[in-house]
Amino acid sequence: MSISDRFAELAHIRDSLGAVEADPSRIVMEKILSPTEALIAGKRTILVGTNNYLGLTFEPELLDAACAAMHEQGSGTTGSRMANGSFAGHAALERDFAEFYDVPSAMIFSTGYQTNLGLLMAILRPGDKVVLDSHSHACIYDGCRISGADFLAFRHNDPEDLRKRLRRLGGDAEGALVIAEGLYSMLGDIAPLADLCAVAKEYGAWFMVDEAHSFGVYGERGLGLCEEAGILDQVDFITGTFSKSLASLGGFCVSRHPEMQLLRYGSRPYIFTASSSPANIAAADAALRAIRTRPEIKDKLWANANRLYDGLKGLGYELASTVSPVIAVRVPSKEEGARLWNALLDEGVYVNLVLPPAAPDSAALLRCSLSAAHSFEQIDAILSAFKAASAGSDRAVGASAH
Amino acid sequence: MSHETQDLDQEIMQTLLTHLARFPTKSDELNAQTDLAADMNIDSVNMMELLMEIEDTFDVSFPLNMMANVNTVQDLANQIKQLVENRP
Ligand SMILES: Cc1ncc(COP(=O)(O)O)c(C=O)c1O
Repeated sequence: MSISDRFAELAHIRDSLGAVEADPSRIVMEKILSPTEALIAGKRTILVGTNNYLGLTFEPELLDAACAAMHEQGSGTTGSRMANGSFAGHAALERDFAEFYDVPSAMIFSTGYQTNLGLLMAILRPGDKVVLDSHSHACIYDGCRISGADFLAFRHNDPEDLRKRLRRLGGDAEGALVIAEGLYSMLGDIAPLADLCAVAKEYGAWFMVDEAHSFGVYGERGLGLCEEAGILDQVDFITGTFSKSLASLGGFCVSRHPEMQLLRYGSRPYIFTASSSPANIAAADAALRAIRTRPEIKDKLWANANRLYDGLKGLGYELASTVSPVIAVRVPSKEEGARLWNALLDEGVYVNLVLPPAAPDSAALLRCSLSAAHSFEQIDAILSAFKAASAGSDRAVGASAH
Repeated sequence: MSHETQDLDQEIMQTLLTHLARFPTKSDELNAQTDLAADMNIDSVNMMELLMEIEDTFDVSFPLNMMANVNTVQDLANQIKQLVENRP
């Protein structure tokens, strides 16, 4: 297959999105007004699809810390930590993560994507076995694929299915790696981590959890779903990102195994890319402080999630899971999804339109991600927009949509 | 070829064709030579679901990375046969 064939395939994808008038690349935020509002096509729009869970992107502490770091240390690191050396801020942030999780090992990477790639590429070799949740994020699949390990999927959130697949591995189950996420980003459902961990441990497998969407959102201290499930002392690797709750750019991996630090010597996505900029590091560190000291931010996020969830239910929409900061509305067809998505934009509300294969078990999803920075007035405006948008539908969405 | 392996070949091919029948093909013929990527419309999620069903049917582990060597339905059948024969 030639490169021009590949271009033709990509053009086909673009055209099929264009055909249903749902090309997300045409969305340009002309001006960001706040963590929850932007100008899109000249229109003031409420953002409810940005993963800005704690709404910290305009928090004065974060902005001040980032600006100060930029003035003191410059706009970029211009290289990787193995080549150029670490800035003090990188090491300090790793210490802060280790202290927050009370573990011996923490490493930071340049993005969440590279964190999973960096961990998986470093710890897996051809012949190793991985059993991962079938709904895992692309970067988990990519990390497995690049490593050359044998990887197979277990049915989403199903510990008994995981057990079956580990049993089939026979003697290879011992030492295999089991991977799950905390909060799944598309359907907004959470993993039964205590059960999955118990099955993994029963077979002598390692257990890794990606808390990209659950860090800062779940757990009494905000550590994520591993904290909530009470398995912090058993899970082997936890990964996460700065790009959601932490309102910055980068990723982290923490582990109860001191040896995890050795990844610095063999993880290509750590070694061969530039380290996070001083402003990114300072913002993430300030956000981490906010999570540790201001639990009320998380409480507000949950109040907002409950309000939107109950409201959408009341409007007759079919929701993909129980309440969480990700609320996915199931839509019966791609075309209806695109129509509703555009109608919501016209009403001044931005959500994510998710089409197959990214929309598991659905024709399409309208994915909302809540922020602690949303006001109740904004939640009510979002609900009004959903009501107005469904008024134009042929009652395909939710039998009781008025 | 013994009767036993012939039976196994047939059973695998029949099962695969049954599982694959739910996906649209570009030509209307679905057979051993059908190219899974070029002739069929199966996205990555459906392909994974298909593999999980196959694993359950034949009680084998089919690593997703093995799909790198699979183009046609026959290739897939060959891989499954190998797994079934080497079942621990
Ligand atoms: C589960 C999961 N892991 C990792 C990532 C990647 O994070 P980042 O955006 O920091 O690269 C994402 C975000 O898209 C995600 O949803």
